[in-house]
Amino acid sequence: MENIIQAEGLRKRFGQQEVLRGIDFSVKQGEAVCLIGPSGSGKSTLLRCINLLEQPSQGRILFRGEDVTRIPPARLHAKVGMVFQQFNLFENLSVLKNCTAGQVAVLGRSQKEAEGKAHQLLEKVGMLPYRDARPSQLSGGQKQRVGIARALCMDPDVLLFDEPTSALDPEMVDEVLYVMADLKKAGLTMLIVTHEMAFARDAADRVIFMDEGLIVEDAQPQLIFEQPRHERTAAFLRRSMRGPLGLKQLT
Amino acid sequence: MPNSFFSWVLFLLDKYGALFLKGAGVTLLIAIVGTVLGFIIGLGVAIVRTLQLPPQANRPRRFFLGVSKWLLSAYIEIFRGTPMIVQAMVVYYGALEYLGLDIPALGAAFLVVSVNTGAYMAEILRGGILSVDKGQKEAATAIGMTHWQMMTLVILPQAVKNTLPSVGNEFVVNIKDSSVLNVISVTELYFMSKSAAGTYWKYFEVFFITSVIYFVLTFTITRLLRLLEKKLSGSDSYTIYGSQSHSKAEIKIQQPH
Repeated sequence: MENIIQAEGLRKRFGQQEVLRGIDFSVKQGEAVCLIGPSGSGKSTLLRCINLLEQPSQGRILFRGEDVTRIPPARLHAKVGMVFQQFNLFENLSVLKNCTAGQVAVLGRSQKEAEGKAHQLLEKVGMLPYRDARPSQLSGGQKQRVGIARALCMDPDVLLFDEPTSALDPEMVDEVLYVMADLKKAGLTMLIVTHEMAFARDAADRVIFMDEGLIVEDAQPQLIFEQPRHERTAAFLRRSMRGPLGLKQLT
Repeated sequence: MPNSFFSWVLFLLDKYGALFLKGAGVTLLIAIVGTVLGFIIGLGVAIVRTLQLPPQANRPRRFFLGVSKWLLSAYIEIFRGTPMIVQAMVVYYGALEYLGLDIPALGAAFLVVSVNTGAYMAEILRGGILSVDKGQKEAATAIGMTHWQMMTLVILPQAVKNTLPSVGNEFVVNIKDSSVLNVISVTELYFMSKSAAGTYWKYFEVFFITSVIYFVLTFTITRLLRLLEKKLSGSDSYTIYGSQSHSKAEIKIQQPH
């Protein structure tokens, strides 16, 4: 299978601090890859480097074999979609317009064509009844489903998810994960930064564990979760799977 | 001759009613033109002042933008740091004595009020642009919008809506502060009042009428603007009618208005 995304010797510095310290990995066509790891390990920065929301300091990122810094921004961004932790819907536009604005402005589609596409994808994420609502009138889970539909409207080759459920109340996490599992079934290529370990274990084709700006392990979920090769991975998973401490353990 | 306060007021209204009306009309015209042009100037200035070049931009572009930003902030500082009454004198007599331009007083009034208002609007709108959260800019970039598309489709509509109360406030300020233009003989409300008062030496009665007119103007405008704000902010909730007990029940939507 063809590599959709490939990183080679990727480094990113913010001032003195080196957040990514030499990353090599790839995502193949149709794969769902989950990036896990402690906060501050560089997962989100890695994701943001891929669609150039951050400029890599060193190394390169290839999209279908082409250096991303050489691809015209409009084409790159249409092909590499992004879903944000804080949803980042356009607050001045209705749900429907959130999904059509990019299609019309960036892809040059007609209003009618864009609306047809938006209807189809809003239906898919279960948000069609809310097409005329404003983002401020929606719950977090609903906003995130619109965020996913908005990204899909651009017909991306790969979708990047930056902790899509971390800002949600617990009872809304599932509705977003359902949508993502559906997309996985439909064969969409996805790279997902997440703290939802159960989702990573059950839905991902591959799990990458990152720590301190490096990839520690990159393997199939069963291997990572059942026989981690590194003690750091095992320790992180023990902490994550255990969940928050109860009152007894804290006192 | 009238012999009480009210009879004087009625007498003056009867005699100078047309004059008051004309003065109020000119005042309103200056306030409208000054606020609209000032808004446009301010918007342009704010857009340039909030521009950020991508890291790969070349040096001439960086230099050009740096110089423009410096000039614009000088403009804002100077026009906010001097009284409009002085600006009116400088512009009107400066043009006359040094450029040989005899600008009509009303033209000078439009110019001074617009440029003065522009300096305030620039800061108001800059705040409005910066108040739109960074995430929406990233989202616009992430779906491939250019800077211009992002500004016109996403950022500016929100910035303008958020600053509407302050923009309306500038309008009210302009209705009142255009009175200083009497120093260059613009025939606005204050100037007209002064000439009416001079004839019979009835300053209190005339300016009592004048203050009522100013108040009616500003009060009406304030109400109208509040109505507009309310209309733009829309409803907070989106009602869909469905079954409470069975979440999969068919839902019908009522359009919010």
